[in-house]
Amino acid sequence: MPLIRARGISKKYPNGSGNPTLALEDFSLDVGKNEFVSIVGPSGCGKTTFLMLVAGLERFTDGELLLEDKPVKGPDPAHAIVFQEYLLFPWRTVWQNVEFGPEVRGLSKSERTQLVEKYLKLVGLEGFEKRFPSELSGGMKQKAAIARALANEPKVLLMDEPFASLDALTRELLQRELLRIWQQTEATVLFVTHSISEAVYLADRVVILSPRPGKIRGILKIDLPRPRGSSILTSTEFIRYEREIRDLVWNEGQRN
Amino acid sequence: MKGKGISLGSVSKRWGSPILLILAWEIIGRFGLVDPYFLPQPTAIVRAMIRMAQSGELLKHMEASIIRALSGYILAAILGIAFGIAICWSRIVDTVLDPIFELLRPISTLGLVPLMIMWFGIGNGSKIAIVLKACFFPILLNTIAGIRGVNSKLIQAGRSLGASEFQIWTKVIIPAAMPVIFTGMRISTAISMLAIVGVEMFSADSGLGFVIIDSQRVFATDKMFVGILTLSIIGFSMDYVARSIGKRFLAWHISTLTSGQI
Repeated sequence: MPLIRARGISKKYPNGSGNPTLALEDFSLDVGKNEFVSIVGPSGCGKTTFLMLVAGLERFTDGELLLEDKPVKGPDPAHAIVFQEYLLFPWRTVWQNVEFGPEVRGLSKSERTQLVEKYLKLVGLEGFEKRFPSELSGGMKQKAAIARALANEPKVLLMDEPFASLDALTRELLQRELLRIWQQTEATVLFVTHSISEAVYLADRVVILSPRPGKIRGILKIDLPRPRGSSILTSTEFIRYEREIRDLVWNEGQRN
Repeated sequence: MKGKGISLGSVSKRWGSPILLILAWEIIGRFGLVDPYFLPQPTAIVRAMIRMAQSGELLKHMEASIIRALSGYILAAILGIAFGIAICWSRIVDTVLDPIFELLRPISTLGLVPLMIMWFGIGNGSKIAIVLKACFFPILLNTIAGIRGVNSKLIQAGRSLGASEFQIWTKVIIPAAMPVIFTGMRISTAISMLAIVGVEMFSADSGLGFVIIDSQRVFATDKMFVGILTLSIIGFSMDYVARSIGKRFLAWHISTLTSGQI
């Protein structure tokens, strides 16, 4: 039984002129438990839309979307999302941000403390509990946002281009950190990116989307050994995967 | 040599010109260049102030003004924030109340004084009502602007973490809107003083507005200046308190503003 099952999903956005914009068309995907799946595609291909649908933050027009065999009806702490813009609560300290989920779910003070401590340690933000988000670097903000999402112990972690606003080196560092966190928590991750190398480096499988309306061009299984160090980025297999994905994204695009 | 903290240089920069102005003012009076009826000397004003303070008169009028202004202000803050939240929370409330508020808002506050006296009497009631009218709209409008300006993705983040609709309001929207709401509250502290003086000049037998208008009637210009000076001190203190509260509770906001992204 897959953890996430999407069948024939389409999503239309209403617009002024009367013919709605089709953002996703006939999108089907199964994601297994503990799997790391990346979705790549050009801007506006609907990859973020799909994530918002799984998060329950938007409604789809057609199709069926199941999480553990139950239809996704709305936002739920079981599917946590990490955004590109971090979206930490600026009036809360790092500790209070991570505590937000457990707090609104009504957990006791001691349960909350335990969760916050655990996930701040996991992402490596001990010692920064009392800082406000504005006092953190971009990479640390995103770590705090990841800890905040994990503190709800979600079944699936949805990540919407989480490293896109970071500088290249911080980005590499956080990719490695994410793999470590993923291996330690055995979470299921659905990771949206427009970076092909990021998708290959992180994922078990890469889903390639066409430009709008987003349709699946192909799904590639990435058979690279784990744990993956940065040396893998220059290996022949890695480069072969990158080329294959790039061909899927672009050659098809030119034919259209 | 550069001294740390308060150096003679920094003091003279900040206070040099006001001190010179007061000196010039005093000298003009001493040499009889201006009739003290129009412009009493600073020393005469200070003497009048001491006299009024010793007799208890000054404190009595200050107390009267502050109690009225503060009551009206607190009511305005409670109602302004409550109505602001209600208008943003429900489209129906917005549709019903917005046109009414838009009609009431432009009415000149002081133009309402005679009517308020008819409705609420010559006592504190009419004065509190006037301060309430003056302070309500800046707080209401800032509350609405603050709430409508909250980043909708921040609300999505709250929802995805499991917050209920009520918790979205109490734990996301209102805290996020607080800096703008607070700006409205700070603007209104100054407006409350403006309004109370106006209404006290109309009809009162106490308060600083009364002191000012009564001094004019009996040609006691020095007392009039005491009233004006005291008002300015109260206004300055209120703003200082408001700013300190802001610094204490909205420290996150100030550092967010200077650092850019959330």
